Amino acid sequence: MVGSLDALVAEMTSIVGVDAVRAGELDRHLFSKDAGVTRGEVSVVVLPKTARQVAAVVRAAVSHDVAVVPRGAGTGLSGGAVPESPAVLIVTTRMNQIDLDAGNHQAWVGPGVINLDLSDHTDQFGLYFAPDPSSQAACTIGGNVANNSGGPHCLAEGSTVNHILAVEFVTADGDIVVAGSGAPDPIGLDLRGVMVGSEGTLGIVTRVLVKLLPRPPAIRTLLLAFPEVAGAAATVSGVIAAGVVPAALEMMDRPLIRAVENFVHADLPVDAAAVLLAEVAGHEAGVDAEAELIAQIATDNGAFQVRRAADAEERELLWKARKSAFGAIAQVAPDYYLHDTVIPRTKLVEVLNQIYEIAARRNLLVLNTIHAGDGNLHPLFAFDGSDPGVVAQVKAAADEIVDISIAAGGTLSGEHGIGLEKRDLMHLVFSPVDLDAQARLREAFDPAGVMNPEKVLPAGSRCFDFGRPVPEGTWV
Amino acid sequence: MTGLRSTLGKLFGGSKIEIDGAPPAELVVAPDSADQIARLLDFASEHRLTVLPWGAGVHQGFGGRIEPDVIVSSSNLAGAVEWDPDDLTVVVGSGITLGGLDEVIGARRQSAVLPEVDLSATVGGVIASGVSGWRRLRYGPTRDRLLQVQFVTGDGRMVTGGARVVKNVTGYDIPRLLTGSLGSLGIITSVCLKLWPEPEAAATVTADDPERAAAVTYRPQAVLETRDGVSVFLAGTTAEVEAQATALGGEVAAGFVWPEPPIGTCAVRMRVLPVDVSPLVAQIGTGPFVAAHGVGEILAGVESDEIEPLREWAEVRGGALVVERAPDDVYEAIDPWGASPSTLDLQRKVKAAFDPLGVLVPGRLPGGI
Repeated sequence: MVGSLDALVAEMTSIVGVDAVRAGELDRHLFSKDAGVTRGEVSVVVLPKTARQVAAVVRAAVSHDVAVVPRGAGTGLSGGAVPESPAVLIVTTRMNQIDLDAGNHQAWVGPGVINLDLSDHTDQFGLYFAPDPSSQAACTIGGNVANNSGGPHCLAEGSTVNHILAVEFVTADGDIVVAGSGAPDPIGLDLRGVMVGSEGTLGIVTRVLVKLLPRPPAIRTLLLAFPEVAGAAATVSGVIAAGVVPAALEMMDRPLIRAVENFVHADLPVDAAAVLLAEVAGHEAGVDAEAELIAQIATDNGAFQVRRAADAEERELLWKARKSAFGAIAQVAPDYYLHDTVIPRTKLVEVLNQIYEIAARRNLLVLNTIHAGDGNLHPLFAFDGSDPGVVAQVKAAADEIVDISIAAGGTLSGEHGIGLEKRDLMHLVFSPVDLDAQARLREAFDPAGVMNPEKVLPAGSRCFDFGRPVPEGTWV
Repeated sequence: MTGLRSTLGKLFGGSKIEIDGAPPAELVVAPDSADQIARLLDFASEHRLTVLPWGAGVHQGFGGRIEPDVIVSSSNLAGAVEWDPDDLTVVVGSGITLGGLDEVIGARRQSAVLPEVDLSATVGGVIASGVSGWRRLRYGPTRDRLLQVQFVTGDGRMVTGGARVVKNVTGYDIPRLLTGSLGSLGIITSVCLKLWPEPEAAATVTADDPERAAAVTYRPQAVLETRDGVSVFLAGTTAEVEAQATALGGEVAAGFVWPEPPIGTCAVRMRVLPVDVSPLVAQIGTGPFVAAHGVGEILAGVESDEIEPLREWAEVRGGALVVERAPDDVYEAIDPWGASPSTLDLQRKVKAAFDPLGVLVPGRLPGGI
């Protein structure tokens, strides 16, 4: 760092004001972690309100030779908002403006807007923002954009990137630029698409233009209970193969069903080996036929109970049960660790059986909540970290799950992001040339490495220098 | 160049071919592997040869004109197809045509929801140009289809981005970056596409007013306006298609009856906010057009003197007008892209990250990149 921490804090204070700077020891400690397991080190926390303040913060940080790390609500699980080395933490929660353009089904949204608040705000016009992570009551749109977050309903509607029309961001040079627009198809390269999911490593997002969807006029929600996990998994494959793409298709296994039932009291079938929560949404004349087709496929695969949500209240209760999964775990054990791998949907049974085998062999409790329709697994180990040796077992089991997911043709993360947590696993799915290409892309945006450094790509990614050297002075 | 030509001929001459409609080039080749393309691009970078990737030539109209030394055809990259119908994904070589793809995945009534007309276009060409089908109102644009891309960078590196799964945040979204890159970052050799099941029933229904049509239907596949009027494209279960057709009250045709591409002296693609579609249609003279309501895209055949006023109308409202085809004298006098985006400097740097010597389609992107 050039100059002292005091000088950095003073400069930040001159930009955002004294009420928007946190530099005390307690604050720096509180902000040094997200909802995952890694703790980092924060030099100073700033809470800007405008893009111009963010730009000034970036320029000042660069002049002090300190990196910047963006953070929303801190609900991330992969350490994406955790500075590995001391950095200026740009907390976006005060950038929470919503400018709705109902006629175009679009809204300019500050990165600090909470996901659920956006849909609540647009509800009066019959519009909503489709991505719905389980943390949607707390997580911010900026965090959703950084991680390209998903949620149960991205099966039919896609992840965050499918709903972002434009991104305003501050570059590593401290410029404010806009990629994309409310009109379709950006002119030139699609930098908007690259910004989404880039975890703050290419720029600090200061505003996004989101696409809003009309609320479906009719929804049918089914809870399907199975005596065997295989029947539930076969139903998922059967539904996709039958040509139905439901709005959501979620799976929970017995340990999780019991934990959730204790927590939410939704009258879940605690004897089931697995349940599927299936939802179809659309025109009133179409949803019943689709729901019945799903029920039929479930019955053919051995479902012993088909529960149809009678009204909106029951539907919400079932969804509350699904989205409370992580909260419910706290009743089971004090600690948990989960992965976020994705596999082809046709490999669900095979991979789930392997996961149970791994847990049994290592004497661990595994609870599964799965975005089954997408093949996105969340095998969750519940444990007590104070038990000797258990953390090492959990870590080893998690590594095995990554390996079997990749062997099944899958990849590391479906919606949580790479961050610090999975950075050093990237070589398992990308070749050195692939990683080098990603590192070159990053370098194009941030040659000095000031934007959320040390995230996503492992050290040494940008070292693959075959290819033609560029002669000095070449215009390219 | 003569010496180079002879070297090129020796190295790649075995697959030398001719292509109708392509600009003149020193050499036209159709490699049958990514590896061969990598060697060719490495050679091109070493000797600063300009390279133009070529599919079926359907979408070559975009951007600055290229005078290539070498044209690389994808026609020999059409063979490989790995279809996983139960996972709704398919991996294809970039040279396969839309018609060829449909022939394979149509067997289980699946669709990649790519452009509906001119099925002679290649999948690689559609991805590279970034054009979308009319059903983007319901399914989103072409860039939402691409799960994984394999391509060769300008300096001959074989790169894979994305993965063969339907949901993925592992690393940067390289597939999206390649979509619409017009060959400027690399030559696409293979892609994995997300598929959709074809709905049970489909119908095309005439309507008087696009706003009313939107109000009485739920997320139709497309609402298109032409000189002949407005048509609403419905799909879903038989019951919901019939119910919505009745609510619309227009003339019903079974299946999708897609409009012909508009043909005029110049072909332009206008992109505006959805609410600006009807006002922009009113600005078009007497030529043919297809306007996608709810999306904001209008294809039109226009006279050359209409281009500037239409472009100005679109740009002051945050939109754009892209010239896809025009007589040579007209094309030379205008910028095919119009106003440059604020990210131009970054776009130049990203281009250089993938094509450091600038051999791939130089000058095709906005700002002469």
